[in-house]
Amino acid sequence: MHIRLKQFGTTLSSRQAGKDAYGGFSATLAVLKPGEPIELDFEGVSSLSPSWGDEFLTPLSNRFGEDITLFNTKNLSVDATITFLEEIGGLKFNRKS
Amino acid sequence: MSINENDLSIGEVAEILNVSIETLRRWDRAGKLTATRTHGGQRRYAMESLKNLLGKDLFWNAKLWAMEGETEPNGMFYCPTRPVFEARNAAMEKLLERSIGEVYSLISSSAGEMGNNSFDHNLGKWPDIPGIYFSYSIEERKIVLADRGLGILKTLQQIIPSLSVDKEALHIAFTEVITGRAPEKRGNGLKYVRRNVENGYFSLTFQTGDAELILKAGEKFSSENIRKTDLPIHGCIALIQF
Repeated sequence: MHIRLKQFGTTLSSRQAGKDAYGGFSATLAVLKPGEPIELDFEGVSSLSPSWGDEFLTPLSNRFGEDITLFNTKNLSVDATITFLEEIGGLKFNRKS
Repeated sequence: MSINENDLSIGEVAEILNVSIETLRRWDRAGKLTATRTHGGQRRYAMESLKNLLGKDLFWNAKLWAMEGETEPNGMFYCPTRPVFEARNAAMEKLLERSIGEVYSLISSSAGEMGNNSFDHNLGKWPDIPGIYFSYSIEERKIVLADRGLGILKTLQQIIPSLSVDKEALHIAFTEVITGRAPEKRGNGLKYVRRNVENGYFSLTFQTGDAELILKAGEKFSSENIRKTDLPIHGCIALIQF
């Protein structure tokens, strides 16, 4: 499954918006087959903050772990936020540019 | 003009206005900014007399509101709700991108963290005026965010009741990852902001209550960066300089 994150907005900032995005995404996740790869694509995202990421990426990582791969993470705030979430949450994301 | 115990010394005013003590003496003689004198002959300045000068400064305009504003700020700067702030921050982000290149997103996401913190921690609990003061100047390379919320000390006391002073609360907010049985999901946004400052992307001045942090771009955070100020505010104020 390939998900373009810009569908949730290009400035991914608040905790509330992250929660809303995760809630909206839950129906899609419900139809995933076990072990199916999840590709999260940051192409077109202008900025990502840890609050948004902690509500969206952290629960996804806790639930699907290694099945997730992040694409197009070169934007400085996307890169810094993912690294930050990995450190404070003890997570590890696969990344491909 | 009577001398009041809240009046400021010439050193404090020099620091606030970022001018030398000699300049202030000259302004006093010229009548541009007059001081009163103590019995010992030392100059003292009433906050009231500084307001005209300070009101023209982006940061001080916001700080005066955080200190003593009893009305909503000018609509140009006032974000009463989160959606208003988010829309304005996204607009600023586009201007920043055009002006400074790829570093823009670290600055706008840091501003976003601090602005959203104000809403996350004060929603339904604003002591008087809800929302935040948000202003910026791409030309002056400054962004200011302020709120008249509970401030970090009262917010953290909900999780760490033994906390008693603003300095300690400010230090924890910028250094410790707080988890556990918190009544609300804790943000770690200020740690992210600190990292961006330490990595040299911008400088930060951040005040809550009577504690002020000044961290220059590329400087390593330490408790020595936090000091007690004589001009306490309600809530929080942040100045980003890039």
